[in-house]
Amino acid sequence: MSQKIYVTGIGLISAIGDNVEQTLDSLTRGKTGIGELELIDTIHKTRIKVGEVKHTNEELIKRVGLPADTKITRTSLLGMIAAKEAMMWAGIKDTNDFRTGIVSATSVGGMAITENNFNDYLNVEKTGDFLDYILTHDCGDSTEVMAKYLHIKDYVSTISTACSSSANSIMLGARLIKNNMVDRVVVGGSDSLSKFTINGFMTLMILDKEQCKPFDKDRKGLNLGEGAGFIVLESERAAAGKEILCELTGYGNSNDAYHQTASSPTGDGAFLAMEKALRLSGLKPKDIDYINAHGTGTEVNDLSEGTAIHRIFGDAVPMISSTKAFTGHTLGACGGIEAVLSVLAIKYNLVFPSLNFTNQMNELKFRPSTVLETEHPINHVLSNSFGFGGNSSALIFSRH
Amino acid sequence: MENTTKITAACVIENGKVYVNSKLDFAAEGSATSLDFLKAAYTHYQLNYPKFYKMDSLCKLAMVASELLMRTNRINEKYASEAIALIIANGASSLEIDTEHQVSIADEANFFPSPAVFVYTLPNILIGEIAIRNKIKGENTFFIFDTFDEDFIHSYTDSLMNNDKAKCVIAGWVDFYEDKYRAFLYTVERTNEGEAHTTTNINKLIDNKLNFERN
Repeated sequence: MSQKIYVTGIGLISAIGDNVEQTLDSLTRGKTGIGELELIDTIHKTRIKVGEVKHTNEELIKRVGLPADTKITRTSLLGMIAAKEAMMWAGIKDTNDFRTGIVSATSVGGMAITENNFNDYLNVEKTGDFLDYILTHDCGDSTEVMAKYLHIKDYVSTISTACSSSANSIMLGARLIKNNMVDRVVVGGSDSLSKFTINGFMTLMILDKEQCKPFDKDRKGLNLGEGAGFIVLESERAAAGKEILCELTGYGNSNDAYHQTASSPTGDGAFLAMEKALRLSGLKPKDIDYINAHGTGTEVNDLSEGTAIHRIFGDAVPMISSTKAFTGHTLGACGGIEAVLSVLAIKYNLVFPSLNFTNQMNELKFRPSTVLETEHPINHVLSNSFGFGGNSSALIFSRH
Repeated sequence: MENTTKITAACVIENGKVYVNSKLDFAAEGSATSLDFLKAAYTHYQLNYPKFYKMDSLCKLAMVASELLMRTNRINEKYASEAIALIIANGASSLEIDTEHQVSIADEANFFPSPAVFVYTLPNILIGEIAIRNKIKGENTFFIFDTFDEDFIHSYTDSLMNNDKAKCVIAGWVDFYEDKYRAFLYTVERTNEGEAHTTTNINKLIDNKLNFERN
């Protein structure tokens, strides 16, 4: 039974790059992916800014090497690209040499296609290609499709807990290895943009019309994004002889017991999740070098998260930033994408800038890092992901 | 025996009757509907939680059962909020309110979905409502079974207690569909008092035959 959880592979696709290399380039050059919505036809097009992957589904199908007429969702396609990159990074050519699993997270699943076919589905007389997409709607379908593509058979599961989904899939993966159920597991999440989420967040009135400003006093809300991020976790045995990118040393999940959707202003769930992760890792708050915050740029999240961070770290808050102003908030994928960024922070000793920050919040004593920090050793990174309903998760990645 | 898991309190609600620790505590058999009965119980027990009226029937049922359980066994005064777990199951999921929501969107000419209804269209919301009301922040999981699986819930509960994931578990069943309802919730703790946490005793408490008086 492996007690250490090694990260041996990373892969992602988002508005700031199709792979790890492009992403790192955008991050180090401070180049945001947030801009105009181009690929979804919605009346809100001019009212929002999004972090969109600028490839059509047809282009993505071609990229993964499937026949052009394949009935597949954008969520699956983005996930396949990111998970494949993570597996290539980990040098996994054969999934039969070790028990291999996949846990993928998503919040929209196949909704982006269902919403376009919705009126056709209501017409029971109508037949056509659109009917083939019914089975792709379910969240679990995207994971099944990815598992098939990656030849993963030993464990396949899907998690959907809003914006903490993929952090929770990483936690589940670690627990599968610790409990000797698999030797390695591909974990993370994928979410495509959809009218469903755009309309939903419009209704909640938490979308910034301009670029989001995480932790800024004058923050107006979030920008939605899309993408996928996956990491490969391996047991000591499975990782033997490989380049270990870092270890997953801590994780914690908690609930707020405050409200069905909103986070508590005192950040109780966030506090408990970070506390649990620290306890599991055996680290003290002062050991954390960088916090990759959830930092969505909404009024509620940044206050709640910031308050919880002060409760854990006191006034000695480590370097902190939110990368949401690069990628947008990718919902079910953000924990996976930010896990990859946390691994990169350790590998290259980087703290990524929080873009668009100007004025400090009155309620908080810390300011996020606004420039690329390259001069500090980054050995332990805390990555937060908080979902609606106070489903709060925290992960800690540590240098090996 | 010290340090073994015990059933320390129970509340059972069925057929217009409320049982606390196996004793009949309230009956309103004349209620016209299940909902009337739940409202009568709310008034009778002076639960004083106005949010009750906004809840769907499933959550109302969960609220009455959990309130009475917490009154008879004040676990939230004994344990930290993170140390109390909620492990609850049912058979009909949230179909009662799902149907109501579906009706509200079925007619294109009279399309009026309500966020206040929609928000209850998941069965685990009832766990959320219990957690919010009592500030419970421990492990929580909701299962859907054809019928109550006492072996599964028993082993899940003991596993949480034995692995130090919880010091107290609220376990049981809360089901409401088409005017039929049934709820039983019970607390499991590690203590000298109470009845042994066994599947036999779980079945006894469901039938209101577990003797809580002996301690």
